[in-house]
Amino acid sequence: MELLTSYTFLIVAIGTTLLSFASGIIGTVSVIKGQSLIGDAIGHATFPGIILAFMIVGVTDTLSLTIGAVIFGVIAFFFIQAITSHSKITLDGALALILSSFFGLGMALKSFVQGNPSFHNTQGIDDYIFGQAAYMLRLDVYLILIASVISLLLFIIFYHQIRIYTFDPIYSSTVGINPSLINFLVLSMTILLIAVGLKAVGAILIVNLLIAPGVIGLMWSNRFNIVTLIAGLAGAAAAFTGTYISTAFAGFPTGPSIILVLSAFVLISMLFGRKGLVTRQIMKVRGESS
Amino acid sequence: MTEDIIKVKDLIVAYDEKPAIWHLNMTLQKNSITAIVGPNGAGKSTLIKSIMQLIKPVSGEIQINGSKSKKALKDVAYVPQKGEVNWEFPTTVLDVVLMGRYVHKGWIKRPNKNDHKIAMSALREMKMEAFRNRQISELSGGQRQRVFLARAICQDADIYIMDEPLQGIDITTEKLIIKTIKSLQQEGKTFLVVHHNLDTVKEYFDHVIIMNKTIFAGGKISEVWTEENIDKAYNEVSAVR
Ligand SMILES: Nc1ncnc2c1ncn2[C@@H]1O[C@H](COP(=O)(O)OP(=O)(O)OP(=O)(O)O)[C@@H](O)[C@H]1O
Ligand SMILES: [Mg+2]
Repeated sequence: MELLTSYTFLIVAIGTTLLSFASGIIGTVSVIKGQSLIGDAIGHATFPGIILAFMIVGVTDTLSLTIGAVIFGVIAFFFIQAITSHSKITLDGALALILSSFFGLGMALKSFVQGNPSFHNTQGIDDYIFGQAAYMLRLDVYLILIASVISLLLFIIFYHQIRIYTFDPIYSSTVGINPSLINFLVLSMTILLIAVGLKAVGAILIVNLLIAPGVIGLMWSNRFNIVTLIAGLAGAAAAFTGTYISTAFAGFPTGPSIILVLSAFVLISMLFGRKGLVTRQIMKVRGESS
Repeated sequence: MTEDIIKVKDLIVAYDEKPAIWHLNMTLQKNSITAIVGPNGAGKSTLIKSIMQLIKPVSGEIQINGSKSKKALKDVAYVPQKGEVNWEFPTTVLDVVLMGRYVHKGWIKRPNKNDHKIAMSALREMKMEAFRNRQISELSGGQRQRVFLARAICQDADIYIMDEPLQGIDITTEKLIIKTIKSLQQEGKTFLVVHHNLDTVKEYFDHVIIMNKTIFAGGKISEVWTEENIDKAYNEVSAVR
């Protein structure tokens, strides 16, 4: 229990909680659009960007690595666009292709760097695969803070446009909403949140923060504003709990801890949510007895 | 007293180099209820989408209220042929209808009590009040169509452009929709409606455009709705191909 008041824990918990709150809300848009795996591909694709940035600056400096991650996230997205629009490969094919080739490149670069004596302190790189919130610095948390606040503000300002566009893109363009602008906004927010969250959750699992909360939200409500709010809160609660578990049991990586808690929430929602399995059974029994 | 609220001049639209509309000229008369008729693939939906700036024509000019800019679309409400919306989207029927108020609210302003009133009366008009809290995906095809019509009514536009609003609709609802259209005409609104049932054109509309890639006839029903004009458009194996 002492942990709850420890300074380090609080810094880390604030970071992961805020990150998951923002990711849950922004990620819901992709979940509804059926494009959650774009986040997965981008998440994995940031990994080589991290290593290249490390190779250039020579230390695991938060800001440089984050910039490397953003650049590679953007590159990956343009590759995905180019592949789907200039070939017969479908979106899921392009995503699988980009995800594995970029991540493979990252792993290759990692072995090179870690086996090369001219690079020092290379073990910090591993934190970016599964995330290790315990080693998060204040700067990491500041970056998360900035990215989350920017994303949430943009979401609030463009709320109605995002809502109408996600539901009905054609209608949105007839009432003066610019579909490409909204698409670009959502994507930028996604890449930004992925990049700042890598240290905490890792490249492999970060997509879960974008998907699982939205899935949970959809199980409890049929109104967009409530779904996004539940998504944000579920993400935040899971992040706080997960970070606590990971800090209490030192060495347990943060990413997997948060994801496990989130998965438990998903399971509970599938059973007891508005249209959950158990809920439906109860309704049926009630319906028969009345 | 006649006034053209939409003017289309020498319009050419193509998909992958294949023309769907060829040198088309038409006008929509203010305060009319105008039908667009023509066989499948005649380019009716294409014409409407061009007016709504959803597709870019190869050449030609389209004016709404004398303006070519995108802003002019604010006065136009559009109901597509088949709602190509995201059915997984979590939204109630009432929220969908309220989206119609967006043009009057813009960016950040939330819909207020008055907007709710307008949305509810649009729902009432389409006899969908009882479904207001229903998830949109839990409606039948005809009910969905009525929700999109209610959204268009809620938008309170000057011009309504509808692509086969009566498709897949039962006869009671069809009469209801036509009654609503006629009462909105009394309020000064203009309608451009793609219509398939040639038997009801005379009863429902006062103007008609007969087309097949280009216009074969257009004007008052009493003047152009003739056997000869209809046959030309439906039988001609298209002048251009
Ligand atoms: N997205 C598209 N890509 C390629 N060709 C298209 C596309 N949409 C329509 N077409 C073609 O353009 C022509 C006109 O189509 P359009 O949908 O405008 O016809 P329509 O008059 O609305 O027909 P219907 O009565 O069946 O609705 C058709 O030959 C059609 O095959
Ligand atoms: Mg059509």
